[in-house]
Amino acid sequence: MEQIVFGIGITALTGALATVAGAAEDTESNIGSQGDPNSQVQLAPQMGFLHRIFNKAVAGEPPAYGLWCCLGAGLAWAFMAMQLNAVLAIVLGSVLAVFVQGVYATTAYVGRTASLSKFGQPVYVDILKSMTTVTMAHAFIAIFATVALCQLINGALGHPFPLPLLALVWGIALGAAGSATGNPYYGKERQYQNQKFGAGVPISASGNIVRYAEAGERNSIDNGWFTAKIGGSASGICFGLIVFLELWRTKVGAGWGSIAIGVLLILIFTVVDRYIEIWARKNYGPYTEAKEASS
Amino acid sequence: MSAVAAKPATGAAMNPTAMGIGVILVLILLGICWFVSPTVGLMALIGVIIGGVLIGFGVHFVPVGGAPAAMGQAPGIATGVAMLAAGGGLAGLFGGAWAAAAGQTPIVVIITGGVGGGLMMAITCMMVNFVYVFGMGIPAASGKVAKDPITGDSQAEYKSQGTEGHGLPFVSFVGGVTGGIFAGAGGTLIYLELLNLYEGALPTLMQLKPEQVLPIAISMAGIFAVGMFLVNAVLTAYNITGTIEGPHDPKFKRWPRAIVASAVASALCGLVAILIVLPLPFT
Amino acid sequence: MSVKVEVIEGGIPHNKIMIAGVVSTLVCLYLTYLNVLTGTEMFSFFGGLAVVTALIWGSHTIKVLCSYGIGTGVPSAGMIAFGSGVIAMLLATRFNLLAPIVALILAAIIGFILGYVSNNILNMKIPAMVQALTEMAVVGALSLMGFAALMTGGFTFAGLTTGTVSVLGQTLMTQQQSFMGGCLIAVAFLLGAIAIQHPFNACLGPGWKQDRMLMLTAECGFLSMLVAAVMSFALITSGSAIISLIIAIIGWGYTYCQYMALSKRDAAAWLDAKPIPEVEGH
Repeated sequence: MEQIVFGIGITALTGALATVAGAAEDTESNIGSQGDPNSQVQLAPQMGFLHRIFNKAVAGEPPAYGLWCCLGAGLAWAFMAMQLNAVLAIVLGSVLAVFVQGVYATTAYVGRTASLSKFGQPVYVDILKSMTTVTMAHAFIAIFATVALCQLINGALGHPFPLPLLALVWGIALGAAGSATGNPYYGKERQYQNQKFGAGVPISASGNIVRYAEAGERNSIDNGWFTAKIGGSASGICFGLIVFLELWRTKVGAGWGSIAIGVLLILIFTVVDRYIEIWARKNYGPYTEAKEASS
Repeated sequence: MSAVAAKPATGAAMNPTAMGIGVILVLILLGICWFVSPTVGLMALIGVIIGGVLIGFGVHFVPVGGAPAAMGQAPGIATGVAMLAAGGGLAGLFGGAWAAAAGQTPIVVIITGGVGGGLMMAITCMMVNFVYVFGMGIPAASGKVAKDPITGDSQAEYKSQGTEGHGLPFVSFVGGVTGGIFAGAGGTLIYLELLNLYEGALPTLMQLKPEQVLPIAISMAGIFAVGMFLVNAVLTAYNITGTIEGPHDPKFKRWPRAIVASAVASALCGLVAILIVLPLPFT
Repeated sequence: MSVKVEVIEGGIPHNKIMIAGVVSTLVCLYLTYLNVLTGTEMFSFFGGLAVVTALIWGSHTIKVLCSYGIGTGVPSAGMIAFGSGVIAMLLATRFNLLAPIVALILAAIIGFILGYVSNNILNMKIPAMVQALTEMAVVGALSLMGFAALMTGGFTFAGLTTGTVSVLGQTLMTQQQSFMGGCLIAVAFLLGAIAIQHPFNACLGPGWKQDRMLMLTAECGFLSMLVAAVMSFALITSGSAIISLIIAIIGWGYTYCQYMALSKRDAAAWLDAKPIPEVEGH
């Protein structure tokens, strides 16, 4: 009995850590402007729209977060092999991983902006000084939470993979989930806030991102605040559900039981998704009349 | 100075000679394996090839929109195809590895891996639609078909002006889940085959007891599974040139090329992975 | 709609960089063999230097490949390089002293076949594809070998799979606390995969300059060497690890400052807390 309670309790804890990690990951990637929406930040100066957004072009979120989490876990593993306490090891590992992340962020911003010198986009040193530490702080939360949940999965729940390999798997999954959920919200809603709400961005408006904001000129910390409204929480729920349900279905049933529960969960999410889709079609209605619509 | 347009429209053209050469290469590699290790190695290699082909095929189902999707200009998920598929497949591999360590039968392990990948993609796709609908007020619409093949919903009038569509129509959602299932199952199959091979061969090779080599076997099988996963996913990304809406997209018809390509790549990498534990003449 | 990738002329020709890369990486890898000859682990840092030189070569290969607009972005190239390289590297470690040469040949074969597959079966038809994928697989394999040598002091299979643990004052051999047992190869894999594609990805644009990109590659290489040296404290003697760490810190500091100076040279303006400049019509 105690065994089951212990297992479910740890599972719930990892779900909570995963939710925090997902929220922090999406906020960090939007403060740094990483991933697919960053193509707009890159494109804007070429169309003549100079800006003060942090242009962090470090691969996409899945490989980048795979690296930070795997690095943090590798360092934590090494520190634990040197007989350091587990929590201290994870903290130190995450600190060093965040240092690497910060360095990559600065070199990316400076490099991309210097290569856009033809269009007159300046390198803002104050953006470098103020954004880097904020993005590093959010990344630390995401990395620490992910490495901690991997340590729980390895140590308390008995998964065979060693810590760095687990962190590679969950780091890439974290980046994929956070990027999928959070990117359209940042790209369409925030960067193109001046476009009509409730419709995609027309191709003719590419590059015309918002550069003047509520108080003065928009910078990436404003984007971080905006992400925390919906995008961050949605990413957190997404990754938290992924981790929790994956662990829970294995704990509750073994073998065919976990498969049956997994299939049931997939069907539940399919129904929910279909409901969302129908709700949108009925509630929002079409953009034009059916017969007028042309591609 | 513009990008060196070295390739004229590659499009969906199949190259029969090259595909034939690919099949011959696979047979040659299988032959080499049969020569070196007729029973254990050959079975493992066949398993690895099937796993790689499953991954390569499955990734075609995953709806990826790339940079335009991040602006609501194209349907699909706004992430790179190789890494999104890797995320789903690796989550499946995680579950499958756990089942393998718990001593489940191979068929259970592989299906567990598949279901794990499918579950991750289902949650992700649902949350994508959630954010589009409740966070941005945009319904899902496809730009490539007039009616959704599964539900029959008409798409054209729900597409905002000046875009190619947005969100995840139901057929894309189903595609995403299917892709996750195939990718997770394929990755787990590769892992399982290599793990069984290493658990059997490493004790003799390293002169140690089976329990002692278990960490090495798991790590090696795991990192090879990850490596082959990424190679197959990137090859598929090259096949679809970066973005695809799902199984209804015309680009989906290119899948035969990817099957042959994945088979060759997996056969090659699998053969090398198997040779690691075989006694070599001059070591 | 994304950034136009353009072929830039000028700078050191790619083949020169490739030859210099191959030679210096192999030399550095073999210099780690001094560990075996002298019975210490002091020369492990040459593994890190091998990583730096291999990455410099590899990032230039990615630049050559991606200038043709492959349509899926730069990070995938890094992934396929290391995905194919890791398999070649592990088989090569079985060959003891010949390991680096075997890794080179094996990875070249794998990369060549993958390049053929991409160009002909997948119909990408990019002129530089086959050579680029061959080179990238070799870079992947040799960088991973460099990381292994840096973290464990050697590049043999036996060395990578055994470690020591002290129990009640006795040191015992164990598989768990080793490079492979702890799967530190996964960390090396990702460190290299991100480091090889970052320089081209970060310097992408019409103002791309070769010397700036190569300096950034050296910086990424030394940064990776830095964290790998920290991890090596668990596997080799503290003295040797401290040597690697100090060399990495000095190398990283120098290349980082140089990179910032080069970026300042190339940027349109280097402003501190100034407003967005006014541009005609926007």
